[in-house]
Order: sequence, then structure tokens, then C-alpha cells
Amino acid sequence: MGDVGQSTANTSNKEMTSNQDELILAQQRQIEKEISESIPLVGELEPVTSLSSEYSGDDIYLAKVNDLAAKYSSMRRTRPDGNCFFRAFTYATLERLLGNKEEFNSFYKLAENSKNVLVELGFQQFTLEDFYDTYMDVLKRLADIDNVDDARRELHTVFNEQGYSDYMVVYLRLLTSAQLQKEKDFYSCFIEGERTVADFCHQEVEPMYKDSDHIHIMAACSALNTGVRVLYMDRGTGNIVTQHDLPEGCTPTVHLLYRPSHYDILYV
Amino acid sequence: MSTPARRRLMRDFKRLQEDPPTGVSGAPTDNNIMIWNAVIFGPHDTPFEDGTFKLTIEFTEEYPNKPPTVRFVSHMFHPNVYADGGICLDILQNRWSPTYDVSAILTSIQSLLSDPNPNSPANSMAAQLYKENRREYEKRVKACVEQSFID
Repeated sequence: MGDVGQSTANTSNKEMTSNQDELILAQQRQIEKEISESIPLVGELEPVTSLSSEYSGDDIYLAKVNDLAAKYSSMRRTRPDGNCFFRAFTYATLERLLGNKEEFNSFYKLAENSKNVLVELGFQQFTLEDFYDTYMDVLKRLADIDNVDDARRELHTVFNEQGYSDYMVVYLRLLTSAQLQKEKDFYSCFIEGERTVADFCHQEVEPMYKDSDHIHIMAACSALNTGVRVLYMDRGTGNIVTQHDLPEGCTPTVHLLYRPSHYDILYV
Repeated sequence: MSTPARRRLMRDFKRLQEDPPTGVSGAPTDNNIMIWNAVIFGPHDTPFEDGTFKLTIEFTEEYPNKPPTVRFVSHMFHPNVYADGGICLDILQNRWSPTYDVSAILTSIQSLLSDPNPNSPANSMAAQLYKENRREYEKRVKACVEQSFID
């Protein structure tokens, strides 16, 4: 292997013998394939108590499931692919807006203008348009359906079509990135290390499959002008799930369940 | 059938034709838009100058949400290019963004030729020579340049 072996240089290095990056990527793809075959992008409504079956014999979690069930009746699971926050948040936001024409229309207007904002911030118009067009296309399709139940069914169908669903996620990632960059003085305090806000956006926000943190959620909320309540369920002490409203003090319209590194949608 | 990936690749191709970046070119193969051939010309004022390096780009239906697989077909001597032509470049792996297109990929690889990253070596010999014996490094690169005329 390697390039011409006659040199006197150290030849014991292993990285020349195989392309490690591709091996890792191949394994990642296999894991993703298994997940995508077993869990839909956005699931059907199910009772919150269905969580109990995942935690039989686990007293801490079972107590928390009970507490959660006292506050919320049902939930929708999302596929754990690193996009779960963005997918859950967009889905839940639109699902609610479909029940309120007036609010939906102002959301639509905000979306229509968003492309110019992104272009002004330096996003490349050519690639941006591909995502923007799809995003608007979906919003238009939903707006054209008068019956709320029919519109929600269409939303569910669209969000389970990989092509559309992922493009919706990409566009929200771009809007979130734009929001972070617009208010970079504020957000820079939340970024660890030497990275600039723009670096952080390129590395942690815009790429697909990258998990979301508090900072992503804060920016996404302000990009869509929506408040979210996150219920945290983990192995921490106590029998109740803790909750956080983002932005602080808002009246949340979207409710999400967080279990370590994953978000699902909750319904009161 | 038109899928988001295929539709997007048509757009990428159109843009590459209308607004071609200096020193790179690329086009889908005759019967398959998911596989492209590309050429990167060695950047001026680098040992790669005058070389014409051929690459293949393979897309999946997940493009642009996932990066394509890019590989040099021409023999390369570069700290971040594997013996099989695979390229170690962050934007083709964990720092890929769906806002990149073929044009951005090719220009990034072109700048990788000018600015190797010897701290993340795919070819440790090239990385070592680049750091410790620049003259020998350049000699080996020039050999690739000459070979690229024949390939």
C-alpha cells in the first residue's frame, strides 16, 4: 500500500493501509438504516403512558412517566436521527397553526420574507432557493386545504416523506443559523471555546443530523416567533419531570419531551 | 423519476455551466446523473501547478442532506488524500452542509491542494515530507503532475 515504499521514513503508520473515514461512514450508514427502517420520521399520536413499557423495573423513570402523564395526555415520537428537535418543533408548530388561520397567515408571511433575510446575511442564493422553494411549497399546500383535519393529515404525510421532511428541517436549520448570526453578540456568550458564532453555525447548526442544544432551541424559537416548553426526563433525583420555557417567561405553544439526546412532541 | 437529489443535481450542473469557478470543471456521466466526472487544475504558485487531476463524485438519493463520495482517479501525493484516492476533508465528512453544491466541493478540494493539513494525514509519508522536507515533497508532487498528463 502507500506511496512508493522505498523511503527511509517511518512506515509503521496504519492510516495508509485503509481509508478509515469511509469505514466509519459505512458503519454509520448501517446504523442509520436500521433506525430508519424501524421508526417513522414522525409517529402517530399515542398515550404518554405508552412510555412505561420502555422502563419496566426502572422506578425513577416510571415515577417520572406517571408525573408526565398527569400533565400531558398524548405524544408523537420522532425518529432519533439528530434532526429530532428541528423536525418535532416544525411539525408541532405547523400542526397548531393549522387550527388558526390568522396566525397561520402571519407565519406564512414571515416565511415568505425569510429568503431575503438569509440572502442579506450572505447565504448563497442558489442553494438556498432549493430549500426555500420546497418549504414554501409545503406551506402553500397546507394553506390550500380548508378542512383542519385534512390539512393535519397532509402535514403528517408530508413530514413522513423523507425528501420533503428533510428539506423542512434544512430550512429551519438555516433560519436558526441566521437568527444566531443576526444576534451574534448575545449568542457568542453561549458558545464554548474559540469558535465564532459563524463557525458554530457552519459546524453545529447547518449540517443535518447534528444534535440540538439549548442555544439551537433559543434561536429556533425566536426565528419562528414561537415559545416552547421542554419537559426533561432523565435519571436525576426526584419523581417529577423538570420543565423549562424557552424563551424564559413565554407562553409556550409547543411542548416537547426531552430524554437524553432526543426530543418527542407532547400534547396537553 | 425526479427526486429531490436528482432535481438538485440538475441545478448544480446548470450553475456550474453558467458560473464556472476558475480551475475546476465537472459534469454528470452520460447515462447517470448520480455519478459525475470532474477535473481540478493544480492551483498556481503551488507544486500542483499545471496538473490536471481527475476525480469521480458519487451521489446518493440523500444528497444534498448528505455529502457525495469524492475520489481522485489521478494518482495523488498529498497529505490528505488516501492511497485509493479518497479525500480527507472535513466538509466531505462531519462538516458537510446542505448549502454546499458541486461547485463548492470542487473549489474546496482545490484549496486543499494549496493548503494541506498535515495534522490530519491520510498519507502520512506526504504529511511528514510536507512538514520536514518540503523540497522532497515538491519533487514527489511534481511527479504526480507529470503523470496527470498521461492518465
